[in-house]
This record gives sequence, structure tokens and C-alpha cells, in this order.
Amino acid sequence: MSEDKPHTSGQVDPGDTSKRVGAETLRERGLDPEELREKLIDAISAEFIGTYYYYTDLRMHLAGHEDYKEITEDARLEDRAHFELLVPRVYELGGKLPGDIRDFADRSSCPEATLPDDPSAENILEVLLEAERCAIRTWTEICDMTHGKDPRTYDMAQRVLQEEIEHEAWFIELLSMERDGEVRPAGHFIRGEPGDAPYSTNRRINDSA
Amino acid sequence: MAVDEAERWTVTIDVPEEAELVEAGERFELSVREDETILSAARADGLWLPADCQQGWCITCAARLEEGEVDMSAARRYYDSDEAAGYVLTCVAKPRSDLRLVVGQSDALLQVRADNDQPPGRSKLN
Repeated sequence: MSEDKPHTSGQVDPGDTSKRVGAETLRERGLDPEELREKLIDAISAEFIGTYYYYTDLRMHLAGHEDYKEITEDARLEDRAHFELLVPRVYELGGKLPGDIRDFADRSSCPEATLPDDPSAENILEVLLEAERCAIRTWTEICDMTHGKDPRTYDMAQRVLQEEIEHEAWFIELLSMERDGEVRPAGHFIRGEPGDAPYSTNRRINDSA
Repeated sequence: MAVDEAERWTVTIDVPEEAELVEAGERFELSVREDETILSAARADGLWLPADCQQGWCITCAARLEEGEVDMSAARRYYDSDEAAGYVLTCVAKPRSDLRLVVGQSDALLQVRADNDQPPGRSKLN
């Protein structure tokens, strides 16, 4: 039978709802689905709390810099989109969000992007830049972890990574000019709408999300 | 101080047998500048140690310091109890003497954090 239908092989009996073939196939390929989902929880905590929440505060303090506020708004909303994109994957892998948001915050894989003591535009832009850099490292790690083993998570992670790399370029451009008076173009056109998340939004999958 | 004038220290890295690294069971010796992180030096030398945030926060890169001294001032989240238990974060640790460390200690440091009611251990293990 298994020779005729190789994808019916594995450790999940017919009708068994206690296991997920979508997770067991990862294990068969050498990827621990529990380790992956826990890493995803850490990563989406960084997106939702480490950046989306704190970027809201940072954006509010960019008074007089409407251009910076617009860019920060794009990054803020796109980081929320990253959270929204990956939450379903956590549940698919048998995980769940922590019941207490304080536990969720504790787990963030990146530092919270808190308002600097001196909330100058320069200092805020540096916080934003370093937050994006942390996110790039995290999603690159997840791409490495899932490449060739888990195409679904890999696809999600690489979409997020593409936007994080764009965010870094935006804040390099803005900080370079604000702090150093130097031109280092991000090389991007504007989003279609604030926080468009052209790679990562799950709106096209689910309009209610 | 110019980079080429920076003091260098010998960093010995032991990879435990049980580590999920191809270098498990091996010992490496690196020459690391005082202004360079141990993680960066190791990766530049071809030893791909685990890491994530690279801001001294997430503890993925945790190592146990067996001998010597490091500067951990750049860490975003590092507790006195981490230091007391002998753990450092290689992504921000800069050598201040010849030193020796054992890498692949993220689970061990996570337990230390949990034992001391500190994040992220308290939220993952308690």
C-alpha cells in the first residue's frame, strides 16, 4: 500500500485527531514541530509587543516629523500583519498564545522598542532601526530552520523577512539624514496604503483578519 | 583605538558532545579583538554558533564562562544571577582576558532564569 501511495505512510492512524500530519511530516524531515512553534511564539511576540505596541508610542513622539510618522506607521501596521500571519501557524502546530499577555511579552525574541529617555527624532529612529535589525535576524533564523523541511512556515517567514529588510532600509535612510546629514536611499516607492504589507498581509486569505 | 591596534585575546570554545552542531565534541581557539563579540569572531572563523537577536536579549547564544572575563555591558537583558551562575551571551560578550567557554547553553540559562523568576524562563518553564 505504502509503495502505491507513499504519502499515506507515517505515524498518524486514520481518524486520529490527536495528531496532525501537517506536524508529523516536519518531524519525519528532521524538524521538531514543538521547537518550531515555540520559536514562532517568541517571534510573533516580538512583532506584536516588541514592535507594534511600542512603535505606537514611538510614532506618537515624532511630533513635527510627519514624514517619519508616516514611515513608522507603515512599519507599525506591517509588524501587526506579521503577527496576524503567523498566529494561525502556531495553532496548526499544536501550540497556542500564552493566556497571560505578560507571559507573551516575556517571551519576545527581541527587546521592546521602548521610548528613549531623550525622545529626539534621532534617538527614536535608532530604536526603530535596531528593532528591525533584530527582526531580520529572527526571521532569517526561522527561514534557515524551515528551509527544505517546512514549506508553509518558510513561505510565511520569508514574506515577513522581505518586509523587515525593507523596514531596515527605510530607517537607515531616515537616520542617516537626521543624524549625519547623509543620503542613503532606501530605494523604495511608497506603500499603496498605510501598512499595506505587500508580502505578508493575510487579508487576501481572510478579509476578517 | 584603531581596529588593528585593538588588543586581542585568546578565546577557547568547547562545543559539548550533546550540542546540535556539526562541531559537537570539538574545541576551537580564536584570536578575538577586544572590540569584537565572541559570536562575530567565531562565525567569521567558520564556527556557526547559534544566535538570534544579537542584542543580548533572547539567550539563544548563551554560553558558560569557565575561565576569564568578558564585557557584557551591551546586553539588553542580562541579570546578576546569570553572571553568578557563570553564563554569558556570546552575541554581545567582548573578551577582556584570555578565556574559555562552553557554548550551546541556552536551555541551561533558560532554567536559571526560571529558577530566579526572570524572563523568558519564568514564562516558558514555570
